[in-house]
Amino acid sequence: MRAALAALVLVVPALPAAGVRPAPCGTLRIGLPAAPAALPAGTAERPVDLLVERATSAPLLEVDAAGRLLPGVLAEVPLPEADGRAFRLRLRPGLRSAAGRSLGAADVAAHLTSLLRARPAPHAWVALPVLGAEAVLDGRAPVLAGVQVLSAYELLVTLAFPLPSFPWLLATTPAALPEAGAFVAAARRSAADPLLLVANDHHHAGRPFAREIELHAVDPRAAARLLERGGLDLVLRPEGLGGRAGPPFPPLTATVAVVNGARLGPGAGPVRIALRAIDRGELARRFVRGPAVAWPALVPPAALPPGSAAAPPPEEGGGPAPARVTVLADATAPDQRALAERLQVKLFDAGVRAAVDLADGARLRARLDAGDYDVALVPVPIASPQPALAAAQIAFVARGPAAARRVLEVLGGALPAESTPGAAERLARELDLVPLVASGVRASLGPRLQGLTPGADGSVELGGLWLLGGGAP
Amino acid sequence: MPRGSSWPVRLALAALLVLPAPAARAAPPPALVAAAGALADALGPPQEGRRALLLAVESRAPPLAATLETALDAALSSRGYSVTPHRGAGDAEGSARAAGQDWLLRVRAGLVPGRREVALVGELIPAWASFFLQRHPDARAVPPRVVQARAPADPETLLLAREGRAGAPFASVRTLARLPGRVLALAVGEAGEPGRPVLVAATQASVTVLSPAGERIAARDFPAGALTPVRDPAATLAVGDFGGGRIAVSRAGAARAEVLALRGERLELAGALDAAPLCAGEAGRLFGAFVPGSGVLADVLAPFADPGAVPRSGRTLYGVQAAPRAGPIAFAALGTDLRLELLGRDLRPAAPGRASLATGSGFALADLDGDGTAEVVASSPDPSALERVRVLAPLAEAPLLLESAPIAGAILAGAGGDLTGDGVDDAVLAAVSTGPSGEAVTDLLLVTADPRELP
Repeated sequence: MRAALAALVLVVPALPAAGVRPAPCGTLRIGLPAAPAALPAGTAERPVDLLVERATSAPLLEVDAAGRLLPGVLAEVPLPEADGRAFRLRLRPGLRSAAGRSLGAADVAAHLTSLLRARPAPHAWVALPVLGAEAVLDGRAPVLAGVQVLSAYELLVTLAFPLPSFPWLLATTPAALPEAGAFVAAARRSAADPLLLVANDHHHAGRPFAREIELHAVDPRAAARLLERGGLDLVLRPEGLGGRAGPPFPPLTATVAVVNGARLGPGAGPVRIALRAIDRGELARRFVRGPAVAWPALVPPAALPPGSAAAPPPEEGGGPAPARVTVLADATAPDQRALAERLQVKLFDAGVRAAVDLADGARLRARLDAGDYDVALVPVPIASPQPALAAAQIAFVARGPAAARRVLEVLGGALPAESTPGAAERLARELDLVPLVASGVRASLGPRLQGLTPGADGSVELGGLWLLGGGAP
Repeated sequence: MPRGSSWPVRLALAALLVLPAPAARAAPPPALVAAAGALADALGPPQEGRRALLLAVESRAPPLAATLETALDAALSSRGYSVTPHRGAGDAEGSARAAGQDWLLRVRAGLVPGRREVALVGELIPAWASFFLQRHPDARAVPPRVVQARAPADPETLLLAREGRAGAPFASVRTLARLPGRVLALAVGEAGEPGRPVLVAATQASVTVLSPAGERIAARDFPAGALTPVRDPAATLAVGDFGGGRIAVSRAGAARAEVLALRGERLELAGALDAAPLCAGEAGRLFGAFVPGSGVLADVLAPFADPGAVPRSGRTLYGVQAAPRAGPIAFAALGTDLRLELLGRDLRPAAPGRASLATGSGFALADLDGDGTAEVVASSPDPSALERVRVLAPLAEAPLLLESAPIAGAILAGAGGDLTGDGVDDAVLAAVSTGPSGEAVTDLLLVTADPRELP
């Protein structure tokens, strides 16, 4: 019944505003804070790259603005079987890649496996609950034991542990079926060129309204100027840049402090106390550009009951403060330097001398994996607003697969909603994580842009964008 | 008088002074005077010396009735009647009898729908008491007569007819019916029995036929599958002569259009078309084609279902509408550039495009006031604005005749036709909104100038 209702909703496309229907148009130009890249499926980490991945792959399930799951590549939202340990996935027939190749259940199975086999595998957490995932992740098995292709359009996924919220994993961008998105990334002629996305005529929802989309990396000043002159139709940056204000995006890029207790030893206590005492609201207001909120627990603030985030339990214990700690931060992610420097001040106030060490994304990842840090600031673009999945993704990025699995087992089961905040707090302490803030972007729209409706997961369906007044398709 | 002039010259000069100057050229009499004279002629002179006549004039436009009453009074008086205008809203025949009148002449006046003509219909009712029918005091002494007349309506008459309802809006807007789903196209016409118009609505899943009151008459689901996906579902719909049936519908992404026949309470498949039926009206039918893979139309306006018809241009269209009754504006085509083309019967431009005639993608052509020229019943062309129904007179200097209060939902389709049965066009618009469970629902809005619908 639920699936049927969801299917009913799918056939109702987003309603146009007032009385103007969408119309095909030519080229849309979008400004972004960094140059996006078309990366192998399931390996994008930066928000700009995830935007490209979302455009070039087709989500198995969609999330609407109200936070409901809708069919996507799958013809229906799967229902749990075997007490939440199995899900039967039925694909819509007639799926084709942008090149015209038929796509089916085997492609979904292969993609789930590839999330675990990719190196790096930043989104292996998506397939982690599937039976046999750890064997694939460790290289001990070539395929997932828990994925059984039943027919061209049906597969049975068996999980290693009950996870009723598994369909939400299928709605994440990393789980989306590659080569089946609304657009195809065209080859760049030079690094200075914008990334060009070309419409996929075979997309299961129909041809996108825009024939092409250009993705430009622009600084705020250039973005404002181009928006005013019509050189850009949409800008997604932390700052508001004039034009028409677009709909709000959920702030879902979380920044988490990771304390290396093994390296700091007894000195980790004062560091934890200092970090947990930080006024997260002040961090969000003063040290993050764009829309930001305090992220006091491992789960998204929206999942917390009102007032539950106000008074975290007092830190217990604590030993001698370390002589000096290093705060490792991502030099390429926005706001991380400012946040690290604020932490530096707060640690100093607590009697801990700290230095800030900036590293690019890959080096930061390598040092995290090697345990080569005292305190690390880790930005995590949350792929799902579902509490257990958001917490699992943070745990995976910060602490690895075992931590993610532990979070999924604790939070992903039949946990009452009112117990989630307490359980998340305990998990954060157990994993030595201090969630701090979450940030988002603002949408600044040109006069003609229409169809921007962010999902509850912060995703943007570029195929739904169009220009008022049409234009040469 | 000049000195020395002869008497014949004096006589000629005197004649010049006495005779009236010849008129330069006789102007046609006012329409109401002409119509009143024609009705008086049809009535003939008083019979048997019965001259006393009570005159009661009715019109849905009171100023028209008042002026016509004056014209009729003059025309009848010149033909020998002694005319007393009827005042008050009581029983006119009873009043005539009580006042000792010989006749009651009850005249109803109005514009002929779709024609620039004023029409008068009169009933000449005997009001004297018959010596031979004393036991039946209400019986009429002689059989009554019906007389009628019409005359071309001049601008002054149109003005009186249009502005008749002092203080009332040009038209009213009310919800006629609510349908589940997102209505993509509407059409009004005689789909079944002649003389009985119906309203037809197409969604992505089905076609529904409704009575003019909005009651469901018949419905038919489209067959599952066999539809190329399009991101914005769309359909075209027309009611007219399509061979085996009178309803033709085409969905974006479908290989062919369907022709449906309404038989009682059943809607049956009666054939197929190789082109999309765009619209049908008194000026004919038009066929076109969806742009492949999209919910918009190519710029094809073909009089026949010709899949090879060549587009007029590279423009794409949201929709094409036909005026139910062909006047100077027979068709209108709305481009995705939001430019509205007004076309005559020959598909040539009937009026220059103007920004003031902008509309959203849901619109209709309908001669709401019966002046012979279709109005554009439009939606909002600004997606950031609240939706409103607007009635625009395309040929007027100031086209806006009506702007409604904000409407819930987005108007995505429209059609014109007489649904209230007053002989004058109405319009129906489909306003799509989201229901309480997140599903799409469509309110069908009736836009009418029928005075019975006025608040």
